[in-house]
Amino acid sequence: MNYLTNRARAKKVLILSGLVLVFAQIFAGESLAQKRRAAPKSAKKQIVTRKAKPIAVSTQNPNLPKVTQINEVALRKLLKREDANAKPLLVNFWATWCDPCREEFPDLVKLDADYADKIDLITISLDELSEINGDVPKFLAEMKAEMPSYLLKTPSEEAAISSVSKSWQGGLPFTILFNGQGETVYFIQGKFKTELLRAEIEKLFNLNSAPEVKPTQK
Amino acid sequence: MKQKSILLVAVLALVTFFMSSHASSAKDDFAVGSTLDNFKLSDTNGKEQSLNDLKGKNGAILVFLSVQCPVVKGYDERIVKLAADYQAKGINVIGINSNATEAIEKVKTHAAANYKFPVLIDKNNVLADKFGATVTPEIFYFNGKNVLMYHGAIDNDRSGKNVTTDYLRTALTESLSGKAIAKNTANAFGCSIKRVEKQ
Repeated sequence: MNYLTNRARAKKVLILSGLVLVFAQIFAGESLAQKRRAAPKSAKKQIVTRKAKPIAVSTQNPNLPKVTQINEVALRKLLKREDANAKPLLVNFWATWCDPCREEFPDLVKLDADYADKIDLITISLDELSEINGDVPKFLAEMKAEMPSYLLKTPSEEAAISSVSKSWQGGLPFTILFNGQGETVYFIQGKFKTELLRAEIEKLFNLNSAPEVKPTQK
Repeated sequence: MKQKSILLVAVLALVTFFMSSHASSAKDDFAVGSTLDNFKLSDTNGKEQSLNDLKGKNGAILVFLSVQCPVVKGYDERIVKLAADYQAKGINVIGINSNATEAIEKVKTHAAANYKFPVLIDKNNVLADKFGATVTPEIFYFNGKNVLMYHGAIDNDRSGKNVTTDYLRTALTESLSGKAIAKNTANAFGCSIKRVEKQ
């Protein structure tokens, strides 16, 4: 009898435990979903500004590509997708002294040309400020780069890195792709593989144009 | 009453399990608090050196370095001063070069010209992989018991002209005085470690 009562109790405990686990998971999942849903909403309330304003005026050679100096605040502004119809954004962090950055740059220029009407592509140099009129625009000219180009001058690299992505460990190059809602869909520290990056960009448009498929119930 | 107690314990156990499984997923493989087993690597003269032989009584600062990286060059002076300041406090600096693209001869010449501490060659970036080190310079500070106490940047400014937060020195001071380290990680900015291509 006792044995049966204990079995019944154990059964009850097991069932209740299972229910608790299921509720806990639903609750956690819902919290995450709420957070994801909340992010674009709050962003939409803010004033729509696409390009960050330069914080310093510098004398630049008119024959070389324009490089705009930005600080951490301007960087955060740049990365936001505040417009409801904003395009996906591809950002490449680089420096003239970084060999892998230089090596992958021609592919970046090619991607910019291929997806000009579909995505926004910007490059952000982490060179010293003294290079804003020197090696940075010279290299961009050499690459025939036409995308908006910036140079980040920040008192704290650590804070700037964290504001871009929690997954960026601080190495260059760093390439990150945001969708139209400003959510990170892909990133890579180190040289990107062009075909992989292309696939990630394509995926965004396939997803947007794909018909909605209802999951089948088993 | 007994049934309620069992149920309560079961619920608590489940919640704990649920929370811990989520917390652990955010952890790095070799996070602060991990203990490092003694390791051996060759120095720039080809002589095998071990962590336990090179560390001081209060531990070691392992710094991933590069010969070519301008960010490392910007930090060299500060790293040398750090090594001198903390050797007296029982913490030795050990340089690690994990770059597959930098020849040993170059690393040797560069180390002899710039550093008074040993630089070890991390062939096939085994140590960098174990730690998850990705950039140069990147710091891993271990206490005397080989427990990782701090990981990341040296300070907040690569130029050295506008240093306002001395992450590493603050962590070392706190650790040496027996206090908990308030900020035990800080993203290091620098050149990516050039790893060997693995198939």
